[in-house]
Amino acid sequence: MANRIFAAVLLVVTLGYAVIAFTTIKAPFQYDPLGPESWPRILSAVAILCLLFILWKPDADGLDVTRRVWFRLTAAVVLLFGYAELYEPLGFILSTILFGTILSAMLGAQKLRALGFGVASGVAGYLLCVTLMDLNLPEGALFEPLFETSQQGES
Amino acid sequence: MDTVLSGLATGFAVALDPFNLMLVLVGCFFGTLIGALPGLGPINGVAILLPIAYSLGFPPESALILLAGIYYGAEYGGRISSILLNVPGDAGAVMTTLDGNPLARAGQAGRALSLSAVASFVGGTFAVILMSLFAPALAGFAVTFGPADYVALMVFAFASLASLVGKSTVKTLLGATIGLMMATIGIDANTGVPRYTFGIPDILAGIDFLIVVVGLFGMAELLTLVEHQARGTLKSLPVDKSFVRMADLAATKWTILRSSLIGFFIGILPGTGASVASAVAYGTEKRISDKDGTFGHGDVRGLAAPEAANNAAAGGAMVPMLTLGIPGSGTTAILLGALLMFNIQPGPMMFAQRPEVAWGLVASMYIGNVALLIINLPLVGLFARMLTIPQHYLTPLIAILAFIGIYTIVGNPHDLFMITGLGIFGWFLRKLDFSLAPVILGFVLGGLFEDNLRRALSISGGDWSILVAHWKSVLLYGLALLVVILPAWLGRRARAQARREAAAR
Repeated sequence: MANRIFAAVLLVVTLGYAVIAFTTIKAPFQYDPLGPESWPRILSAVAILCLLFILWKPDADGLDVTRRVWFRLTAAVVLLFGYAELYEPLGFILSTILFGTILSAMLGAQKLRALGFGVASGVAGYLLCVTLMDLNLPEGALFEPLFETSQQGES
Repeated sequence: MDTVLSGLATGFAVALDPFNLMLVLVGCFFGTLIGALPGLGPINGVAILLPIAYSLGFPPESALILLAGIYYGAEYGGRISSILLNVPGDAGAVMTTLDGNPLARAGQAGRALSLSAVASFVGGTFAVILMSLFAPALAGFAVTFGPADYVALMVFAFASLASLVGKSTVKTLLGATIGLMMATIGIDANTGVPRYTFGIPDILAGIDFLIVVVGLFGMAELLTLVEHQARGTLKSLPVDKSFVRMADLAATKWTILRSSLIGFFIGILPGTGASVASAVAYGTEKRISDKDGTFGHGDVRGLAAPEAANNAAAGGAMVPMLTLGIPGSGTTAILLGALLMFNIQPGPMMFAQRPEVAWGLVASMYIGNVALLIINLPLVGLFARMLTIPQHYLTPLIAILAFIGIYTIVGNPHDLFMITGLGIFGWFLRKLDFSLAPVILGFVLGGLFEDNLRRALSISGGDWSILVAHWKSVLLYGLALLVVILPAWLGRRARAQARREAAAR
C-alpha cells in the first residue's frame, strides 16, 4: 500500500515533469539535434514506465512504523525545521543549545545531561568552527546590535 | 611501467607533504570513528563531512586526500561495530557480523579485531597496487573513447547498477532516473534555456550537489536513527587481550588473497561497491573452504574474506572514478562530485592534466592503509569505547554537523530547509527499499550522460545509429546486457536447484 501511494505521488510529479518537457522547454534557436527538451522527455518516459510497473506489482507491503515512531519522527522533523528557521535569528550558539537539548532529551537523555550536551555542542562547536577553522557561522541577528555597540565602545 | 613509477613519485611527493600527511592521519582517524559508530557508514560519514572539508579552503588535492582518508577509514571502522555489537556499520560490513560476532562472543574479540584489521590492510593495499598498475593503462585506453562510447559506458554503468544493487531492479532503475531528473534542473549549459527552475533564482545553477548529498545521506540517516531509537539499547562486548596469531594468518592467507582479488574486480564494476564484493567473497570462500560447516560459528576465514574484499572493493571503486569519470559506488560518486566542485573533471585526462591530484590520491591511499593498520591495532579499545556513545547524543550531533557544513558554504538558511526536505524524501526512499546510491550516481552522472548523448548526435547530425557505430560501444552494450541477464539466470538456476533438492528430500 505504502509503495503504491509513494509511486502514485511520484507519478503525479513525473507527469508534471513530462508535461513541462513536452510543452514548455524550447530553445529559441536549435543548436544541436536533440536540444534541451529531448533528454528530459526520455527520462520522463523511463520514470513513468518504472512507476507504472511499481503501481502494478508493488513488492513490500506496509511501512512497519508504529504510531509512536511516527509521532517521534514528526517531532524530529518539526525540530529540524525549527532549527533551520531560528538558525540566523538566534545565532548558532543559542539555536544549537535549544536544538541539541530538546532533541537529545526527546530521544531519551536525562534532562540535565541533555542540557549539558546542548550547551557543550553549541559553545564548543562555535569556538571550534569560528575561531579554529575560520568558518562562517551566524552569530545571531538578535545579538548583532550588542556586538556592534560593544565594538563601538572599544573603539 | 615508467609512467606508473614517475606518477607514484609525483604522488608521494604530494602525499608526504607534512600537511597532507597530517590530513591522511586525521581523515583515517575520524573515518574509523565514523565507521565504528553503528549505523553510520562511509557514505554518510563522507556526506556529512564533505561540506566542512570543502569550506575549509584547502587546495583540491589536500581536501580530496582528507575525504579519501575518511572513506577508507570508515571502511576499516565498519568492522568494529559488526564484531562487537553484531550491528553492521554499513551494508559492506554485514558479512563481517556472520563470523566476527561469534568469535567475539567466544571471548576472542581482540583476536577477531586484529585479524580483520590485517585482512583489511592486505585487501586495501592489494587494491591500491593493482590500481596504480591498471589505472594509467585504463586511462590511456579511455582517451580514445568518443561521446557515443561514453553513452554506452553510462548505459553499462546503470545496467550493472540496476542488476546488482538493491532488491528490485525496477526500483534501482527508478532511483537512478530520479537522480538523472534532478540533474536536469537548472540552466541547460548548451543552449542557456532554464529547465524546471520555476523562476527561483537559487536553483538556476542547478540543485547544489552538496545539498543533495547531505540531504539524502546525512539527514535521511538521522531520521532513520530517530526511527530506530526505541528498539532497545545496544550492548557492546568487551575487547580482551587476545591477539591475532601466526596460525590464523597462515590459515587465512589464501582466503585473503582470493577475496582481495574478488573485491577489487567487483569494486571496479560501476555501481557495485563493498556490499556486493563482501557478499560474493564470503559466498565463494564458504563454497571453497567450508568443509566442516564452521562458517557462521566464528571461522577466521569467514571473518577475513569479507573484510579483505570490502577494503579491496573500496580501492577498486576508485579506478573507474579516476580513469573514466564514472564512479564505482555511492561513496565514490560523492568523491567525484567533490572533484567537480574543485573544477577538476575526473576522467582519462586527469592523470595527464592534474597528476598531483590523481597520483597524490593514489599515494595517500598507500599511506592511509599503513596508517590505518597502525592506528587500528593499538587504538581499537578507544574506538570500541566510542560504540557506547548513546544514540541520543549522536543523532542531534549529525544534524548540527550537517547544518554547519551546509551553512558555511553559501550562508543561505534556505539550504537548511532544502536538506531537511531531501532528508524526508530520502527516508521514504530507504523505507520503501529503494537504495540511495543509484540516486546519487544518477545525479552526479546526469550532466555527463546528457552532454555525451547530445554531442554524439550533433556529430552524426541527428542520426541515432552513431550510438552503435563503433565496436567499443557495441561491446559495452553487450556487457550491459550480460550483466542484466547473467544474475537473473544464475538466480533462476539456483532456485530451480533448491526446488530439486527440496523435492528429493
